Amino acid sequence: MQNKKPFILLFALVLVLTTVLSACGSNNNAGNNTEASNAPSEGTTEPAANDGNSEELVIKMLLVGGKPIDYDTVFGELNKKLKEKVNAAVEAEFLDWSDWTQKYPLKFAASEDFDIAYTANWAFYNDQALKGGFLELTDELLKKNMPLTWEAMPAVAWEQSKVNGKQYMVPNNNPEVTDKAVLIRDDLRKKHNLDPVNSPETFANYVKTIAANEKGINAYNAKAADGWKWHELDQILLEQQNEWNLVDYNMPLAYKLDDASGKVFNVYDTPEFKELLKYYKDLADNNAWSKNVVSNKNDVWQDMKAGKTASYAQNLGTVAMNLAELRREQPEVELAIADLTPDKKKIAAISTQNGFGIHAPSKKAERSLKVIDLLQNDKEIHDLFMYGIAGTHYEPVGDDKFNATAGTPNFTGFSNWGANSPLNRKDASFPAEADAIADAWQQKVYNFDLETFVFNDANVKNEVANIGNVMLRYAIPLEYGLIKDIDKGQADLIKQLQAAGIEKLQTELQSQIDAFLASK
Amino acid sequence: MNRHGFLGDVRKNKTLLLMLIPAVLFFILFAYVPMAGIVLAFKQFNYGGGIFGSPWNGLDNFRFFFESGNAWMVTRNTALYNIAFIIVNNVLQIAAAILLFEAVGKWFRKISQTVMFLPYFISWVVVGAIAYNLFNYDVGTLNSILTAFGLERIDIYNTPSYWPFILVLVSAWKALGYGSVMYLAAITGIDTEMYEAAEIDGANVFERIFHITIPNLYPTIIILVLLAVGNIFRGDFGMFYNMVGNNGLLFSSTDVIDTFVFRSLTTSNEIGLSAAAGFYQSVLGFATILLANYAVRKYDKDHALF
Amino acid sequence: MSAAMTNEKTGNAPRGAGKKQIDRLLLTIIGYVFISLLAIVCIIPFLLIISSSLTEEAKIVENGFQLIPTAFSVEAYTLLFKYPAQMLKAYGVTIAVTALGTLAGLFLTAMTAYVLQRKDFKWRNKFSFFFFFTTLFSGGLVPWYLMIVNYLDLKDRLIVLILPMLLNVFYIIVMKSFMSSIPEAITESAKIDGAGDFRIFIQLILPLSKPALATIGLFIALAYWNDWYNALLFISNENLMPLQYYLYKMLGNMDGMRKAMVSSGAVVTMNIPTESLKMAMTIVATGPILLAYPFIQRYFVQGLTIGAVKG
Repeated sequence: MQNKKPFILLFALVLVLTTVLSACGSNNNAGNNTEASNAPSEGTTEPAANDGNSEELVIKMLLVGGKPIDYDTVFGELNKKLKEKVNAAVEAEFLDWSDWTQKYPLKFAASEDFDIAYTANWAFYNDQALKGGFLELTDELLKKNMPLTWEAMPAVAWEQSKVNGKQYMVPNNNPEVTDKAVLIRDDLRKKHNLDPVNSPETFANYVKTIAANEKGINAYNAKAADGWKWHELDQILLEQQNEWNLVDYNMPLAYKLDDASGKVFNVYDTPEFKELLKYYKDLADNNAWSKNVVSNKNDVWQDMKAGKTASYAQNLGTVAMNLAELRREQPEVELAIADLTPDKKKIAAISTQNGFGIHAPSKKAERSLKVIDLLQNDKEIHDLFMYGIAGTHYEPVGDDKFNATAGTPNFTGFSNWGANSPLNRKDASFPAEADAIADAWQQKVYNFDLETFVFNDANVKNEVANIGNVMLRYAIPLEYGLIKDIDKGQADLIKQLQAAGIEKLQTELQSQIDAFLASK
Repeated sequence: MNRHGFLGDVRKNKTLLLMLIPAVLFFILFAYVPMAGIVLAFKQFNYGGGIFGSPWNGLDNFRFFFESGNAWMVTRNTALYNIAFIIVNNVLQIAAAILLFEAVGKWFRKISQTVMFLPYFISWVVVGAIAYNLFNYDVGTLNSILTAFGLERIDIYNTPSYWPFILVLVSAWKALGYGSVMYLAAITGIDTEMYEAAEIDGANVFERIFHITIPNLYPTIIILVLLAVGNIFRGDFGMFYNMVGNNGLLFSSTDVIDTFVFRSLTTSNEIGLSAAAGFYQSVLGFATILLANYAVRKYDKDHALF
Repeated sequence: MSAAMTNEKTGNAPRGAGKKQIDRLLLTIIGYVFISLLAIVCIIPFLLIISSSLTEEAKIVENGFQLIPTAFSVEAYTLLFKYPAQMLKAYGVTIAVTALGTLAGLFLTAMTAYVLQRKDFKWRNKFSFFFFFTTLFSGGLVPWYLMIVNYLDLKDRLIVLILPMLLNVFYIIVMKSFMSSIPEAITESAKIDGAGDFRIFIQLILPLSKPALATIGLFIALAYWNDWYNALLFISNENLMPLQYYLYKMLGNMDGMRKAMVSSGAVVTMNIPTESLKMAMTIVATGPILLAYPFIQRYFVQGLTIGAVKG
């Protein structure tokens, strides 16, 4: 028994060693980062000759997406231009779509060497910013290094991308409406002599008729369940239809667009939601969608192409490209884009859907901003970064359109979207009717005080996590009509939400909104 | 006994200790040092502070799990599923190994043993896709067969009560080849002299299996079960997620700790929260294995893990 | 004598007479029926996968997976081998990593296990606990990643695919349990002859542990062969990508992109045979293992017994 001691000593030694080793590491990191938070001043220590670009720098970028096949050629060209203009070259590291969610935070945690990182509201922008992953971008810094962007970017876009009142992102400049539309089989609609689909009622009629008369076709289908917490028609039938704005799709809290006081409410606890549940239940009882829609593992668009699905909802750009694709491949099948809420107010896309941030420890912050400036707002460089080499990867059509070529697939598929700007070209094959809808939507864009409000969930992380779970578990089956008694289902849902802390969340959100509005 | 003291013992076991050095170093580097990260379960992580510099936040990271109202359900599900897996998988694997060894011809044995290994190579993503193909309501193979016989369709994806059976069977199916190899190897290690003695005593084949083969497998069985017991509070995420996905209707009978935590954290990406859930699983697992190991030690010291 | 016995035990030739033949027959019937059932259940999904990998994507979407291809197509394989050089490189990396990792890992596993099962080794339980403890508690991904990237500086080196998986407590403990069935007398008598511990391990124990070595070796090899996670975390150089990660990336990029497109508002459309591709990947990744399998299999399917060696 006496010999236990040495062993315990050994064990203790290991633990001490462990702690010391790791502590050293964290100190190193901490060291790096404290230096880094002062980086703007360091950035300015670049030799001050003429424009501050005398030293040639390699800027490392962290992009999300697969490495494009022609990366070397295109970035070679790009770097020639960048060398000329800001004496810099960029080198991109690509985090594959398959695993970026795991790798992206690790790159920050390990303080790896990169200067620019793609970021977006759906790519943990708020979180990364709050954890100190990004450098704060002061107006001075932006004005000095990003003259073109400073000129072109609307104030709303800057405001929307602030976290706790501080700027950590150069957002993309692409104020398009990204509302959802429904893609339907127009040939089937005509076959059954139905009215054009342009409202929830006509859509219900279409779906029910198809379900009753077309064997082997799902009248409506939703994408494979990937954790989305809403019925896929909710954005159209709940949000767009009622002119609400859901603050964050991970929680069921919204305000009315025209409510200047910004009063927040639980959408599940509204008469509108109750009505919608009845609408959905009616569709479900009429077999509008598969009983297994929640477990669907197939790609809806593939199903639609195979003639197994007769409608689905997606953002306008995507359904438009689907339409164009089918016109090329199966001209005998007629599709149409249905806008179910044509007369409602529209919201411009939030600017944080795409953007670039500067890695906090970067020593090349200023030059990095200069590079982003050009990527977004220099026509030549923007074209290269977004579309590749003219004639190889795309065929320019005038100044604002392009045609895809055989080489297009060799330079696409990654998040160059951070550089979206009014200089973007449009696909010339984009269907005219989609353009018409987009233009009509643009006319109806509604501006309101709260459009630049961003919720900071730092104090209510637990509640957000639990409420998201409740939505998946109770709201989704209810909305897809899988629960027999919808009144009871709704009551259950609300009860579960309360248990998960919806009230605390709502209070927190409301107080942030009130403070925001008061400061206006 | 302690005449030479600690140093004397070290000297005596010099070679053996040297032989352990690579493994000890390996686990210090790749397990014990990183283990310091457990503190993250009690911290609000930020990049500036890193693992040790980030501020403490007490038990805050544990709140989401325990206040969700699901903690008990998912913990229970995880443990029950794992217990079922341990029993069913091992019984099936032992039966397969014994029959492969004792009952069938050489070529049949080789081929069927290879075939049984096939499911191991099919990723859970593909297993999930095949299962959907088999079970879905509208065009699933199972329902096509049922309707062909004039029977009612069954709505598997909306009925929680089928899932424990499906999951246990799928798990057994996938682990069959892998596990039976282990038992096969253990059987080949049994000393033939024992069989000879049984032969002389006039035992029949079944008696031989039950009196010699199976008792000789006990050490292997105990070790494998003990190893599994330590992980009884960890759900096989790949399996549960790909088989059940985000189908909320099934959660009451299919949700395990790992899937629950994954779903809760996909949007928040909070290292501390997942560290907290992991720590909870570790503590439960540790307590369970200490108990189990203690029980085994009481019964037979040599078969215990430590 | 014992060698003959081995054959008899592993073979199924009826022996003896009278009632003994009946129980033998009964066992044989049970054996064939039971094993056949299991084998069928295991092989059908695999046939389904082979068939689907050779079916036109549109037909899969239309009819689901079928046991016989309704419309034959090698599109999925063409796509996988679109860049044959990359694919071959990936196979090369995987084979190299598997071979090196298995050799080194198996040797260290056996050596560690041998020490732990020595009943005269004073600290066997303590060390066992020292190893086992690591399976219960872990600091999670971040510190482990930091260790490998920041301290050991292994990023984008081939060795990072080998080193972190070199030892696994599960294998060590199973190995230890297998080895403890080797009679202690062997070690004892060798010690009396003056052999050192290391020599006993190399010259006596290793040859006696062939079924265990084959089994654990197989497991280690499979773990290396199937690993894509280390590559995911630590490899960005395309020349060092192992097969499974290369395949995973191909498919994952397609699925992942669809999701991202929705969130980012970007518009990109693609036409990729995802379903048949998934199936083809399974075949491409499993094929070589299935070819190599029979060579390892003989060690644990056929009797190599202590008795035989002793005799």
